[in-house]
Amino acid sequence: MNLINSIFKICGAIGQKFFKFLSNIGHFFIFFITAIFWIFRPPWYFKKIFYQIIDIGYFSLPVVGLTTFFSGMVLALQTYNGFSELNNETTVARVVLTSITRELGPVLTGLMVAGRIGAKMAAEIATMRVTEQIDALGTLGTRPMQYLIAPKIIASLICIPVLVLLGNTIGILGGYIIAIFKLEFNPNIYLYATVEYLQWIDIIQGTVKAAIFGLIISMVSCYFGFNATKGAEGVGYATTASVVISSVMILTSTYIITALFFG
Amino acid sequence: MENKSNNKIIIEVKNLTKSFNETMVLNDINFKLFEGESLAVIGASGSGKSVLLKNIIGLLSPDKGSIKINNVEMVDLKRSAKEKILLDLGITFQHGALFDSLQNWENIVFKVKNKEKLTDKDAKELALSIIKRLGLNSEILDLYPSEISGGMQKRVAIARAICGNPKVLLFDEPTSGLDPVTGSLIDKLIKSAVKTVGGSAITITHDMASVCKIADKVILIDKQKISWSGTPKEMLKSDNAQIKGFIKSTNPKLFI
Repeated sequence: MNLINSIFKICGAIGQKFFKFLSNIGHFFIFFITAIFWIFRPPWYFKKIFYQIIDIGYFSLPVVGLTTFFSGMVLALQTYNGFSELNNETTVARVVLTSITRELGPVLTGLMVAGRIGAKMAAEIATMRVTEQIDALGTLGTRPMQYLIAPKIIASLICIPVLVLLGNTIGILGGYIIAIFKLEFNPNIYLYATVEYLQWIDIIQGTVKAAIFGLIISMVSCYFGFNATKGAEGVGYATTASVVISSVMILTSTYIITALFFG
Repeated sequence: MENKSNNKIIIEVKNLTKSFNETMVLNDINFKLFEGESLAVIGASGSGKSVLLKNIIGLLSPDKGSIKINNVEMVDLKRSAKEKILLDLGITFQHGALFDSLQNWENIVFKVKNKEKLTDKDAKELALSIIKRLGLNSEILDLYPSEISGGMQKRVAIARAICGNPKVLLFDEPTSGLDPVTGSLIDKLIKSAVKTVGGSAITITHDMASVCKIADKVILIDKQKISWSGTPKEMLKSDNAQIKGFIKSTNPKLFI
């Protein structure tokens, strides 16, 4: 009897967790639709959008630049070592270019921005939630979704594709520097190979990925921040959850997008 | 306790019931706030006073009952219509709820600046004129809320609530954490805001001296219900054990 009771209890707990998970997905979906709705409805808070663009775009550039720069350098070096039989200028240039534009540029930028900006967005909104600032906004004739969330999503959608394009360029530059100064490749051949293998589809795919990552980071971070509870602990949870979930979603969605483009 | 004059009813709460999960916080709350009247809501911590206020302003939805502001039913009202009604209210939250990312002057004029499309210069002048009434220095205007003391933050929050002279004011513990002199100043301000604009106010407080100064009517919330109501004078003579306890512990002089 005890065993049956225990099995029922375990099943009940699993069921409860499962339904909570479904309920959270439902809540997130409603939040997503509502946020998209408010992006297109005036008034638009241009000043807030501008500040967000500076924060997300300008201030993320150093960390994104450094990450992609070193990734490009490592990639050139590893490709050279790994493909020792084919260690010519064109192979290294092609691998660096394709890897950076298709995958590493967008994913590394996405992960870096999720860590830097996603955490910040979640913490900021969660703090506003637990200190009743969001409640106060609603009583002062301002819709929190429109004033707080929409500018962050708009700015993310603008900035992350631009960051990815810049990151790609910096990453390719990193590969170029290693190829020329360490591997002593011919700069003209390397550059020619890079330009020759550069394809529009890679740039488009990278930009599409970046835009989707921007949406994921801003939506997930704002969602966890907006629904924060339990004071300081809630702020911590929102921040951690936003970074973890954004990162997992970035890695999952990059496979789906790649499969759609090249599958 | 009905208002003897034929004043308009500003807020009417009927059979309000609110619970969180299995815990009932408010049960069958009924009261009316008339035009030009100042109502104080007292009760022990956790008795549901702030929950009552949040139900009135629509941040929480009651399980049962009706809340009317200026004869408009707020429960289940469309969000846009609710927002219009809220624009005519001045509200302070228990912990100020000032916007961290805005300077104090921007906090004070937040609603009015958006509503009346004021320039920064005009808005700042308006903020200055309000904080002077609250005994604050003009230097705090350009500072952020985190750069001023808790008492100052409270006054900035009150300045935000009274900016634009709203006719209905809702204060959640406006004098808690303030020194007696500043608390007294806030009391005077609440009283003058009600009298000069012909407005009405609901103030949630634990400060019995403050209740005596600002309120025309007092209600006590205890065990989820309004367990006592009357005027401040009646309150001082009341045999209600909880009221006696409040008065004794907060201001013994009132009993002398």
